[in-house]
Amino acid sequence: MEDKLKGYKGKSIDILKKYTIEIWDIIQITTKKTQLEGIVMPRSEYSAPDFIEIKLENNYNVGINVSEIQNIKKIGKREANYKLPEKEFPYNKDLPKLQLLGTGGTVASRLDYTTGAVIPSFTPSELFSSVPELAEICNLDCEIVFEILSENMKFEYWQKLAEKIKQAVNSGFVGVVIGHGTDTMSFTSAALSFMLKDLSIPVVLTGSQRSSDRPSSDAALNLINAATVATSDIAEVVVTMLGSPSHDYGLIHRGTIVRKMHSSVRDTFRTIDDIPLGMVRDRKIKTFKNNYRKRSRSETIINTNFEKKVALIYSYPGMENEQIEFYIDKGYKGIVFAGTGLGHVSTDVYTAIERAIQEGITILMTTQTLHGFVGMNVYSTGRELQHLGVIPGRNLLPEVGYVKLGWVLGQTNDLKEIKELLLTNIAGEFIDREVPIAFNYNIDELLKNKKL
Amino acid sequence: MYNFDYEELGLKCGLEIHQQLDTETKLFCRCPSKLQGTREPDFNTMRYMRPVLGEMGTFDKAMLTEYKKGKTIIYEGYNDVICTYELDDTPPFSCNEEARKIALELALLLDANIIEEMHVSRKNYLDGSVPSGFQRTMILGTDGYITLKNGKKIRIAILSLEEEAARKIKTENKTNFYRLDRLGIPLVEVTTQPDINTPEECRECAERIGLLLWMTNVKKVLGSIRQDINVSIKTGTRIEIKGVQKLSWIPLLINHEISRQVNLIEIREELKNRKVSEDDIPQEPVDLTKLMGKTGSKSIATGIKSGKKLYGLNFKGFKGIFGKELMEDYRFGTEVSSKVKIISGLKGIIHSDEKLENYNFSPDEIKKIQNKLNSKEKDCFVLVLGTIKELKKAADVIINRIKYTFKGVPPETRKALDSGNTEFLRELHGGARLYPDTDSQAIMNPVEETKQIQKTLPNYPWDIIEDYAKKYKVEQSSIKKLIFKGKLSLFDSLIDIYPARPSIIITTLLNTAKAIKREGKIIENITNNDYKKIFLELKNKKIGKEAIEDIMRLKTDSPNLTIEQSIENLNLESLSIEDLKIIINEIVNKSSKIIKERGMRSMGPLMGEVMKKVRGKIDGEIVSKELKIQISNKLKEMK
Repeated sequence: MEDKLKGYKGKSIDILKKYTIEIWDIIQITTKKTQLEGIVMPRSEYSAPDFIEIKLENNYNVGINVSEIQNIKKIGKREANYKLPEKEFPYNKDLPKLQLLGTGGTVASRLDYTTGAVIPSFTPSELFSSVPELAEICNLDCEIVFEILSENMKFEYWQKLAEKIKQAVNSGFVGVVIGHGTDTMSFTSAALSFMLKDLSIPVVLTGSQRSSDRPSSDAALNLINAATVATSDIAEVVVTMLGSPSHDYGLIHRGTIVRKMHSSVRDTFRTIDDIPLGMVRDRKIKTFKNNYRKRSRSETIINTNFEKKVALIYSYPGMENEQIEFYIDKGYKGIVFAGTGLGHVSTDVYTAIERAIQEGITILMTTQTLHGFVGMNVYSTGRELQHLGVIPGRNLLPEVGYVKLGWVLGQTNDLKEIKELLLTNIAGEFIDREVPIAFNYNIDELLKNKKL
Repeated sequence: MYNFDYEELGLKCGLEIHQQLDTETKLFCRCPSKLQGTREPDFNTMRYMRPVLGEMGTFDKAMLTEYKKGKTIIYEGYNDVICTYELDDTPPFSCNEEARKIALELALLLDANIIEEMHVSRKNYLDGSVPSGFQRTMILGTDGYITLKNGKKIRIAILSLEEEAARKIKTENKTNFYRLDRLGIPLVEVTTQPDINTPEECRECAERIGLLLWMTNVKKVLGSIRQDINVSIKTGTRIEIKGVQKLSWIPLLINHEISRQVNLIEIREELKNRKVSEDDIPQEPVDLTKLMGKTGSKSIATGIKSGKKLYGLNFKGFKGIFGKELMEDYRFGTEVSSKVKIISGLKGIIHSDEKLENYNFSPDEIKKIQNKLNSKEKDCFVLVLGTIKELKKAADVIINRIKYTFKGVPPETRKALDSGNTEFLRELHGGARLYPDTDSQAIMNPVEETKQIQKTLPNYPWDIIEDYAKKYKVEQSSIKKLIFKGKLSLFDSLIDIYPARPSIIITTLLNTAKAIKREGKIIENITNNDYKKIFLELKNKKIGKEAIEDIMRLKTDSPNLTIEQSIENLNLESLSIEDLKIIINEIVNKSSKIIKERGMRSMGPLMGEVMKKVRGKIDGEIVSKELKIQISNKLKEMK
């Protein structure tokens, strides 16, 4: 019964029961003032209790207060039955074969127009229906690996994705595109970068900031751009998303130095501490740098071991020892600080840090300024922290530091090896030098002035 | 011009009236609700729109037509008054309370049923007029009505509160330019049921709804109100006419549309008589490029030289149909060609009901074309010139439009033109384009608040017009004008100050203001407070009514002056009766000659002379009275 009255509570559930009405019934409601006809809609469980929500014939939804209702008459039923047209994704022997892996998220989902719920659309035929241009770029093989909101990602999912990519390489796919929620896309791109050694084909993560149920969605263009990059010679884990508010070009970001920098705009992803690897526009790729791994025939090795007992702690004024002690007591193996400025935490927590290191916990310092290197020789705090055994994480983004430490701790228990691995440039996460424009680059301007 | 029996035709009209509300900020973001005029934009953002699948897994026809146009959209914005919300780069903020309350007042004025819990919907548009691809809209009232003068009630289906679309600036090379300043201004849409049965009724209904809207806090400037009309006749179909800017256009537009529908039905019947059927319509165009490569028609030859193709289509039994006039200065050929223009971007079509000599085709060439197309005496052929891509679209449009002649009137949205005619704008939107907005939560109209607003509703404007006209002894049309100029409440406060002569207030607010505006001056420099001061000075006899115009003119030129300063600058300090008597006495004494010659008829010229000295400083009527006394005294003296 619950389901058939989804979201209704209080007086509204009483009245619906009284007239034996369920959701999807077409009803006629007589109120003191008028008569309204419509389909009973399921309600969000957080909405007001005393209203019946119906979809009128003109498709508008309205909520009617139960206290206004004089009579309800059932006149029919209309179940939501939403189906995309079945169109086969056409095969073209001259086009490269790509694997598209789905993880959930906005890029390949659409609205159930009756309920307003977001439902995934991911079969090749569904994708072909909504983005027919893909058939001009590649032959597509799709697989839904899991369906989760990206904030619910876990390292196990990264491992599973890495395995799927390995399979794709072995099956002769030319490239892999991963549809991913944008919230934690850069965690996944970093994790895959560390887990896939000697990657021989492009692995491109993409998503959308506006879901594909709206005409202005960036999903189609991002998918087209990602598919194009996946056929290129950039054999790295990269993120490809729009590079400006315009539906113009996509940028190609290395998976270990990229970050979502805005909660809602389309060009939210930026390469941090460097300029992007390149761009893709009108199905053509232009690289800005050439220090990337090229497509090869080398064997892709996966190394997915991961230590999940790693904490990411944001440094702030007023931090206390007990916060860090909590992780020590809970058996954590590593702590990454998003330190202030050049890589600092309050001297108030030195005691806990000292204890943590004594107990064999690896502590890695990154900076919450996101841009720039930690510089732990400049101030006494930095020097003291190093003396305590905190490892300066150079230019690592806090999230990348977290992923890297988890991965490193998955490889070895030896403290010396841990430190060595942490400071080795494994997947382009370290930069040698920060070019001055890295902080404020404006790709539109650079393109306009032909500087790229 | 037309003499239709509307009852027999079964004319049904409905209105959709859109009115911007006068709020500080926009409906779903806090950007100022203010148009930027011709100011140069600070930035451009380029976007493409894609059709989304509807509920039933199909694309809305109008959406597809829009997509096929392959338009790029450029949004122009300003750094100081446009935010990321307008660019569809940030989710909506809370609904503007001020706007919701104005809309609530309007719904109550229309005696509508108030929706207590509103749900925001998305109305999809692919033309680019909204960067998100949809307008956010919600129903606030249903089942209201408005009463016409003769007592007939026109039912109001819904009143919705929604966002204004962006302002279209221009179209260049398949790129539509929209300015974002207008986007998101709160708008109410009032939709009537198709209860209207004559063109005049439609005009009156639109006027009454307009008056009602303008009684509340809505934007009262040109373009802030727009009417769309739905017109159908029994044998025809429902046509939506968009962009009706003047009430006076309405009857003509409807009559033209009736004529178009009647004639399209005649075409259908004529084709039946000629025993032409849909099967006779060609599926594909014929390529005439090679055949006509060396044509004497210069425009065609140049086109072909530049790589364009010439396609031909023959329509069996269609002779004369393309030339048939559907409405004034608009033939069936115009109907087909304007649709081709809009969808394919081509300049138009050539058809054999036209004088082909005008295109410099030789008789021999025409023969060749006829042979190639297998076009006979009773047929009509159509030629189109363009790129292969354009021609493919154009041929589709032509074939489909011709096929529809066998059915009658194709349902579509048409645009109102100044001439009273209409042209194809887009396919009629189906129902499958209104979806729940997943970015927002329900918005409430609390019952208590509704009751409060109900208590303070203004009277119906048509009652006010009648009452005021009677009470103040002025024309009804003047009061109507005050409402449409948004000056009624100002009139009320001025009447309180200066109740003696309402006509002076009306003349000031309507005629004088209009005259000064016409001189190119910024009439908005005169604030409501300025008007109040002017009439206070008039009441205190500091100035005469003749001074009002000069004060207003000075004030528009020097907005920083106070009214007191303006009066001083104009040397308009009021004259006492005693001083007036002295001035008149002087002039009368100087003018014995003319008084002697003309007697009382010397009033005219002498009045002019006195007024030269006292204009604006004292009421002309007092001057006239005093002058009359002095002249007659002088005459008595002379005798």
